[in-house]
Amino acid sequence: MLSLGSLEPPREHPVRLLLTEDLRRSRLTTFFRLLLAIPHIVWLTLWTIAAIFAGIATWFVTLAAGTPPAALHRFLSAYVRYSAHVNAYLFLVVNPFPGFVGEPGYDLDIELPPRAPQNRGVTGFRIFLAVPAWLVNSALGYVVLVAAILMWFVGIILGRAPEGMRRLAAYTIRYGAQFNAYVYLVTDAYPHASPLEGRAALPESVPGL
Amino acid sequence: MTSRRLAAPAAAVAVFAIVWPLAVWQLWQSKLPSGLHLGGLNEHAYFSAAEIHRAASFGTVSTWTGIGTLIATLLVLAAYARRGARFVRESAAGRIGTGMLLGMLGLGLTWFAQIPFGVVQLWWLRRHHLADVGYFEYVVTNWLSLGGEFLFVSAALLIVMALARPLGDHWWIAGAPVFVGLALLFAFVQPWLIPNTHRLADPTLAAAARTLERREGVAPTPIDVQNVSAVTSAPNAEATGMGPSRRVILWDTLLDGRFTDREIKVVMAHELGHLKRHHLWKQVGWYALFAIPGAFLIALATRRRGGMKRPEAVPVGLFVFILLSTLAIPVQNVITRHIEAEADWMALTYDRDPAAQKALMKEFTRTALSEPNPDVVDYVLFENHPTVMQRIAEVEAWQRLHRRR
Repeated sequence: MLSLGSLEPPREHPVRLLLTEDLRRSRLTTFFRLLLAIPHIVWLTLWTIAAIFAGIATWFVTLAAGTPPAALHRFLSAYVRYSAHVNAYLFLVVNPFPGFVGEPGYDLDIELPPRAPQNRGVTGFRIFLAVPAWLVNSALGYVVLVAAILMWFVGIILGRAPEGMRRLAAYTIRYGAQFNAYVYLVTDAYPHASPLEGRAALPESVPGL
Repeated sequence: MTSRRLAAPAAAVAVFAIVWPLAVWQLWQSKLPSGLHLGGLNEHAYFSAAEIHRAASFGTVSTWTGIGTLIATLLVLAAYARRGARFVRESAAGRIGTGMLLGMLGLGLTWFAQIPFGVVQLWWLRRHHLADVGYFEYVVTNWLSLGGEFLFVSAALLIVMALARPLGDHWWIAGAPVFVGLALLFAFVQPWLIPNTHRLADPTLAAAARTLERREGVAPTPIDVQNVSAVTSAPNAEATGMGPSRRVILWDTLLDGRFTDREIKVVMAHELGHLKRHHLWKQVGWYALFAIPGAFLIALATRRRGGMKRPEAVPVGLFVFILLSTLAIPVQNVITRHIEAEADWMALTYDRDPAAQKALMKEFTRTALSEPNPDVVDYVLFENHPTVMQRIAEVEAWQRLHRRR
């Protein structure tokens, strides 16, 4: 029988999840969570349009120069981070209302790599290489939706989030951030689907995320 | 020095004191004959005792649920104004983002306060066969429709709080014109936001609309039908939009056979009358007249919480806004009743079918249970159209005037 302890840990991914342990949930903001997220959804939609154009420009520059331009890398990193913040809020992984600029320091945050040279081959075929990750990300979208619906009920009744469900939802958001970082050329590291964060060695008990 | 500092506000107050009444006078101008008296008719001469009783009974519960909604909303927002600032801790956003959160939560709390009255009103409408919506569907739809309000309040707070940073308590000087501009924009785009519409297919009514347009001197206007019969049986219509977006919208409940073509023609003439008399522009004008002092009062009331640049002031600002809106309801109703009376007069002048117009008004009491003569509270707070008896009196006044000629 296969035990988790026998699994090979994934390599440390440059896009990492930082998550506080705060399970407290405001019943009021949980009840209205979908609606409270609307200004963020509108803003994220506008930001996504800009990010698509920025991503295309970054692709050309990275293909030619081998490294993404600094300004666009900063812009796209903030977009990837903000997108994760909004998803974390919308899907009840965190409690506080997020800011609108994708600044680091939110209860669920994404650590992104600095600007670095990227493999031109990977850059050239990025959009095709991303298809399998896109399929995984889409499937995880359903997972986080189900987890959020369950957490919504629990949050309203108990005023707290169930830890396991929250970690599951956080994992899907981490994968989404890795996927976005790959597609928008923040990094050329492929998303990894393991629920484990990359580590040098496995601890004796596997805590999941 | 002090007198120089006071000179500018004093001059502003003086200009306001002159311009505001002049603007009111200008906006009040209408085609209604001077000295038109719309009271004094006895409803028993037009309706059976059973019809009057049924409409009055329906109106009583509607009035009380309406009053309950207003009071509950004000009480909840008053409490929120006192204690709402504590919700700042639920936010990791900056100044404006936190203000948005507090604004949305305030509206969310009013939703909780209003929903029981809404459910009672729905029960009452269903009992009178005026609504066909289930309770669960009503609550969910109502909850989801809050999304639009949340977005609106967020946009409003974004503007106010962004202006309040550099302008301090004077944000209202720039804010009021911005909101008037947004009101104009909204009036322009509104027709495209109305769901479930299609062009009027009935060739007879479409031809009648063209004739009325020519008579009233209104540019060709699309006549659309909105499908609402799945949720209500009440009849209604509206003139909406500005310039290229303007159109007349008839609810499909007007076209379900209960109203004759002559009565529907009256409705179209009434709505085209709104367009002819530029009522939508005038309504934006009225809005501007109230928005400027309203924004000033909000700025004044939120000073103690640090002004609208601080998120902690948002609950107070929201309460003052709703309080002022509630206090303005009777005045707004006077204005809209005046506007509607003028549109009725335009319909009489250009459709020249007083018999159909009178029959239509009577039909409103039978189908929509409009009270012929509502009590004072209902009239002051909730009647934004002239009462059925006033509208019949207007028809008779028009007939008398034209018999004399």
